Amino acid sequence: MTSFNWKIAGAAGEGIKKAGLIFAKTCFKHGLSVHGYTEYPSLIRGGHNTFQIHASSEDIFSPSFKLDLLVGLHEKSSQLHQDEITDKTITLYDNLPLAKLVKQAGGTPQMKNMVALGASCFLLGLSLDKLNQTLAEIFAKKGQEIVQANHQVSQAGYDYAQKNFKAKAKQPIPLKPEGKNKIFITGNQALSYGAIAGGMKLYAAYPMTPATSILHTLAAKAKPANIIVRHAEDEIGTANMAIGAGFAGVRSMVATSGGGFSLMTEALGLSGITETPLVIVNAMRPGPASGMPTWSSQGDLLYAIHASQDEFPRIVITPGDPQECFQLSKLAQNLAEKYQLPIIILTDKYLGESYFTIDKPQPKHQNQRYGLADTKNLANDQPFKRYQDTNTGVSPRSLPGQSGGVHLCNSYEHDELGYATELAEERTKQVNKRAKKTSQILKDPDFVNPILYGPKNSQQTLISWGSNKGIILEAIKELKNTNFIHFPIVWPFPSHKFEQLTQNSKKLITLECNSTGQLNQLIQQQTCLKIENQILKYDGRPFFPEEIVEKLTSH
Amino acid sequence: MTNQSGHKRTTAIQPTWCPGCGNFGILGALKQTLDKLKLEPHQFSLVYDVGCSSNMADFVYSYGFHGLHGRTLPVAAGIKLANHKLPVIAIIGDGGCFGEGLTHLVTLARGNHDILVISHDNYLYSLTTGQMSPTTKKGTKTPSTPDGSIEEAYNPIASALINHATFVARGFAGDIPHLANLIEQGLNHQGFALLDVLQPCVTYNKEMTYDWYRKNIYDLQKQNHQPSDKKAALAKALETEKLPVGLFFQKQKPAYHQQIPNFSDTPLAHQDISNIDISSLL
Repeated sequence: MTSFNWKIAGAAGEGIKKAGLIFAKTCFKHGLSVHGYTEYPSLIRGGHNTFQIHASSEDIFSPSFKLDLLVGLHEKSSQLHQDEITDKTITLYDNLPLAKLVKQAGGTPQMKNMVALGASCFLLGLSLDKLNQTLAEIFAKKGQEIVQANHQVSQAGYDYAQKNFKAKAKQPIPLKPEGKNKIFITGNQALSYGAIAGGMKLYAAYPMTPATSILHTLAAKAKPANIIVRHAEDEIGTANMAIGAGFAGVRSMVATSGGGFSLMTEALGLSGITETPLVIVNAMRPGPASGMPTWSSQGDLLYAIHASQDEFPRIVITPGDPQECFQLSKLAQNLAEKYQLPIIILTDKYLGESYFTIDKPQPKHQNQRYGLADTKNLANDQPFKRYQDTNTGVSPRSLPGQSGGVHLCNSYEHDELGYATELAEERTKQVNKRAKKTSQILKDPDFVNPILYGPKNSQQTLISWGSNKGIILEAIKELKNTNFIHFPIVWPFPSHKFEQLTQNSKKLITLECNSTGQLNQLIQQQTCLKIENQILKYDGRPFFPEEIVEKLTSH
Repeated sequence: MTNQSGHKRTTAIQPTWCPGCGNFGILGALKQTLDKLKLEPHQFSLVYDVGCSSNMADFVYSYGFHGLHGRTLPVAAGIKLANHKLPVIAIIGDGGCFGEGLTHLVTLARGNHDILVISHDNYLYSLTTGQMSPTTKKGTKTPSTPDGSIEEAYNPIASALINHATFVARGFAGDIPHLANLIEQGLNHQGFALLDVLQPCVTYNKEMTYDWYRKNIYDLQKQNHQPSDKKAALAKALETEKLPVGLFFQKQKPAYHQQIPNFSDTPLAHQDISNIDISSLL
């Protein structure tokens, strides 16, 4: 055995996520690759919360379904997780007397989860010292007394398990020293740091699950990162504010989920026609309308590609893991400025709020500025040709305050100077000018084409986008003769590269978390390739590797 | 088309407003102020909403951003945060400012964002041919309210006052020197400034003409009103029979950007992003 799968379940308000995170960090200290996945309802108290940890001596990229150890603080836990339990699963329910042990150890009732963590350490062959180190770090601000009490409580759990459950203990998995070049991070955190690395200076947001932790991350880092974070009046305000900052030369970003993205749609078009850089993150959740706020979905792909009235170029980025969240969020800041257009980054609750173990991002980041005109030698009494027709469709840009660059940035259709026009010829010229950007983007050396994982030639090829990446990578470890194509950027659609990758494929299968197969439809629309096989899931949960393996082997 | 200040203020495009439109007076007062303050066309930014007022975008020679209906105030605030050295003036109508975009107005006022909002208040939606607006008096018959409007009129001045705007004034498009003086004060004010401008719509509002306004307004500053007195300002704002014009209220208070911890004097737009080190964040 090289991995284990642990879960804690209980009522909202019982500190499930906190306990899960402490245990995850403890696993990380053992040099393990750790994945943390949490499920919770849109409530502050009550309901059923879970946090599950898949930890391995080898790199792992996803949660796993069948449990090795389940801690159930809630009377319904055994029922609710019946499917995840096998005859080898250790279950800790009433057999671990949390309240009694806490009391005996001199702790407070809030510390009862730490009994369960102590017991878990024993049962999985983990070091209690490493749990205690984590507790010391987490509770350092609360003082030595609290740390000490937590240590006593975790010890009580460890000792109780050693005394009573010794026969159940799992064979320990190989452990290593903590990986100094690794980081334990969520997709939302990685995306936030990537934006900072890409020169984002203004972030405006209105809280909406599951994008809210981007706001929290950036607000907490605003001072050291030297950026401005504003919690604004609504999503319409955030998007328009970001566009104003973009017009004035500042790289900016907004993030929300589907409902907020719907509100931003008019501003998306504003960015399109004014050719003002804008990066919007849509962390997807099941919809429509309020939908299922704390669950995951990939239902907004075609919406992101088509949102807003009429037509204009845009980029839709679909990172698959926190590494790509970081890298592509940084890239989005650069491409939005380079092509003067809106970029939508599609993540989801699973990717945004799950924890992954990845290589630490590089500390130093270089950024180039794009398209900024030097106007100091131009007359200051003539409007600057902000929308000059060029071969690439990208026009030089001047910023307010700059002599010689005076112009109007216009949401109305406009001429090359920016002034409103309704002339047929001017209208057609500007539509064509904007549209030229699309072919430039596809040729850009920084554009990230679809990537093939696994053997070059296989019996079957899985095709997906966004957060399914890690789960499919886990699944193809088990599947014979299967490779996988992942799209980190879906729009503009990289037809050429996709056709190259699939030219020798024997059987293609798309996998998506939506009910109509949106990537599948897009592939057909863009390449005339009709893919008959697709696996779809739209119950708010991510795929689990096991279910992909089962679906593909039972065919 | 330069003028006595030597700075070009207008484009080659002729205004498309109806002859006699109040927007001419507001544009005239704005140009006068810009001349007086010797602001060159590149040294400030105008931001325009959508409506008759905001069609000014094509006629003024300066940096400008012509945004969406009701949504231009957050654009203005974004420009200011990006480059706080630039004066930012928003041109907006009563529909966009007090109807579709009211949330933005109230929130930016509460935050004391350093922008001057000039609301061209003609009590109607004129570009869409004269329907009622938020400031239309209850009972007014318009194409969308043929039996008379049911809603009570929105009170821009009172609302700005109770929502912590630090500069609240009302001008009249038919008195350019008076209006130019208010624009100047508003531009010099550090923080959120609302300047509501009474403006006749000569095409769709035949009752509230220039003459009607001249008979129904009076100058606050000639009545010894103290702009530091918020309660007195609110009492004046609630007068609807005769409409006071002039400076209702002004208070010195740090602007939004000045209240951001560690706010750098170098505008965000001028900060170097060529080398970014994130090691302290991870």
